[in-house]
Amino acid sequence: MKRPVAVVGVGQTHHAARRSDLSMPGLLREAIDRALLDAGLEHKDIDAVVLGKAPDMLEGIMQPEQFLIGAVGGHLKPVIRVHTAGSVGATTALAAVTHVASGLFERVLTVAFEKQSEGNTMWALSPNLPFTPPLVAGAGGYFAPYIRAYIARTKAPPHIGPMIAANARANAGRNEYAHLREPMTVEDVMQSPMLWDPIRYLETCPSSDGAVAMIVASEAAAKKGPRKPAWVRAGASYAEAMWVPARDQVNPAAGRACAKHVYDAAGITDPWNQIDTAEIYVPFSWFEAMWLENLGFCDLGEGWRIVDRGEQKFGAHLPINPSGGVLCTNPIGASGMLRFGEAALQVMGRAGAHQVEGAKTALGHAYGGGAQYFAMWIVTSEL
Amino acid sequence: MSELRNVAVVGFAQAPIVACDAHRTATEMLYPQVKRALAECGVEREAIDYQTAGSADYIDGRPFGFVAALDVMGAWPPKQDSHLEMDAAFAAYYAWIRIQAGECDTAMVVGYGKVSEGQPERILNLQLDPYYQAPLGLGPMTTAALQASAYMARSGTTDRDLAEIAARNRAAGARNPDAQVREAATAEALQQTPWVVEPLRQGYVPPIGESAVCLILAAEGKAEELCDRPVWIQGIDQRAELQTLGARDLSRSASARLATEKALAMAGLDSASEVDVIELFATNPAEEMILREAMGLPPAGETKPVVNPSGGPITGHPLMMTGLIRLGEAFRQLSGRAGAHAVPNARRAIAHAAQGHALQQNLVFVLGRERRWS
Repeated sequence: MKRPVAVVGVGQTHHAARRSDLSMPGLLREAIDRALLDAGLEHKDIDAVVLGKAPDMLEGIMQPEQFLIGAVGGHLKPVIRVHTAGSVGATTALAAVTHVASGLFERVLTVAFEKQSEGNTMWALSPNLPFTPPLVAGAGGYFAPYIRAYIARTKAPPHIGPMIAANARANAGRNEYAHLREPMTVEDVMQSPMLWDPIRYLETCPSSDGAVAMIVASEAAAKKGPRKPAWVRAGASYAEAMWVPARDQVNPAAGRACAKHVYDAAGITDPWNQIDTAEIYVPFSWFEAMWLENLGFCDLGEGWRIVDRGEQKFGAHLPINPSGGVLCTNPIGASGMLRFGEAALQVMGRAGAHQVEGAKTALGHAYGGGAQYFAMWIVTSEL
Repeated sequence: MSELRNVAVVGFAQAPIVACDAHRTATEMLYPQVKRALAECGVEREAIDYQTAGSADYIDGRPFGFVAALDVMGAWPPKQDSHLEMDAAFAAYYAWIRIQAGECDTAMVVGYGKVSEGQPERILNLQLDPYYQAPLGLGPMTTAALQASAYMARSGTTDRDLAEIAARNRAAGARNPDAQVREAATAEALQQTPWVVEPLRQGYVPPIGESAVCLILAAEGKAEELCDRPVWIQGIDQRAELQTLGARDLSRSASARLATEKALAMAGLDSASEVDVIELFATNPAEEMILREAMGLPPAGETKPVVNPSGGPITGHPLMMTGLIRLGEAFRQLSGRAGAHAVPNARRAIAHAAQGHALQQNLVFVLGRERRWS
């Protein structure tokens, strides 16, 4: 990056299955107003707006940013709209960082949302394409075979996924914004219906309405802010092609390349010991174990053992998803930016009841498509 | 804004715009353009640091349509990548910002979409405010007609004026092998065509068309290696405005005016008239007149600067890439690649892109044969 970039404000909605009390512009305003208040700024201080969301079919509006220009304060400002599947919230935040790093913009508002209650996600994600057998199974149906492949490779015992799900729910109990906060036990998860073997109902992300916004700013602008910012030490987004025989969707090459990029840029050689907490994109329980390996926190085949030993729990060696993560809150387009925003809040020391004590370096991570799009950032408490 | 990098367009390839390429998918149309653009630069895909695309799921008729383009762009081994749900010209804008940030030195920008497989009038209705405007049944042609009416009422423009602009675009399009409408037509003849939505006649607006486009950007140092005559970006800006039709003066484009002012200031120019050639995203003659006014250009009929020597969007309007084609056309003009529609001795150009209903968002590139910053 050409010059330092900081996160100076974070705001998110209270997430729920239906935010029927709000229109789409209202949902965005709830997050944006909180982010601006957090940063002590107003719309007139913002130079550009970067908006992201997942497929337009989820709400049934084409390029909804066009009608949302007023709600995001974009009138007569530069505005761009990002869409990189499930990773989009994270890629959107990175685009805002790039705007500031370029030297052309001092303060950029970035916002991501999904209002899944406006449409039918399973329908929208199950297109009937020419020359392709209809899957009609949504994301869970797509990813279940790769989880089975992971289990076959590593001989992980069946309770690992349920342990991850129960731990996520315990974490969400400490996060006032999370959608699903009711506690549940490993036993509860194992009793819940099987949806896509081996993914059970309680190991699956919900459909949420929600939005998240951040203000990213230059060093000079950040130092004028009311409190300590989070510094963006590294960021990258990588994608890999779909029909390459050498692809490995259990341990994707794009994820490894992206992690290497941000670790190198941030000077991280030992992620397990140098990173204090990570918010990673886990829409189905088992992906937590898989991504621990893909992100280089451990050797291949060791991810489920970290879970089995509880070393990724809140208060343990490397708390993963102290917010409860995607398993408890999933406004799809916003889910990646929530990971980034939560990582920033941790190093700002302002994550509230789910604050990881002494967090100075945090990873935010998201993925999308058929495990093809990866976006990550490393944020730190000091520049 | 002191230390900007000189960035150039160094390669461009476009599939000729057609009503329907019945035998190929969107990505099959795109692949040859990627190969041609890279071949023009004399490199393989490994030489490109970053890739980005502009497309829309609603044009593809499915979620995540852009994922298929990863294979076409050659994202293996994995590539640094992004995708904008916008006209691909905005992806070029974002790639330029990335190069400014020092995150890459070269970028591939693609635009694609099988417009013929959908019904654009219906699909683009879904772009409007779902609470108050979309339920009225407005489509891009009706909102464009409202805008044209507002402009004509304010300016006294006549049907004949519109016909003459359309005729000039048609004459230019006849010289452009990539245009979809390649038959010249007189203003008299176009005035006889039926209304699509009054005051816009069939002869004033483009037919449904599709294409595929690939453009390569490179920073100084790399650009000279990839291109004999790189075309340097000297100024750039984009602005959006409120969609709500009733909240805007539709007869004017405030966002085009502001984007032009900012881009000219970056380029160190006082007036848009200082360039030799301009490619405008004007999909009907009234839009051309509104944009000319907003950008401070002489009225239609003046011959300098030359506007839309390619025939412009009136002779070919493939959704999601019409804007990137404007940038590509400016590159062709300034790098001696415009063939039969070349403007002699063109040294500076403006490429303009727009998206949304009634010119809601506008992007302006100022380009030149010389580097802007030393």
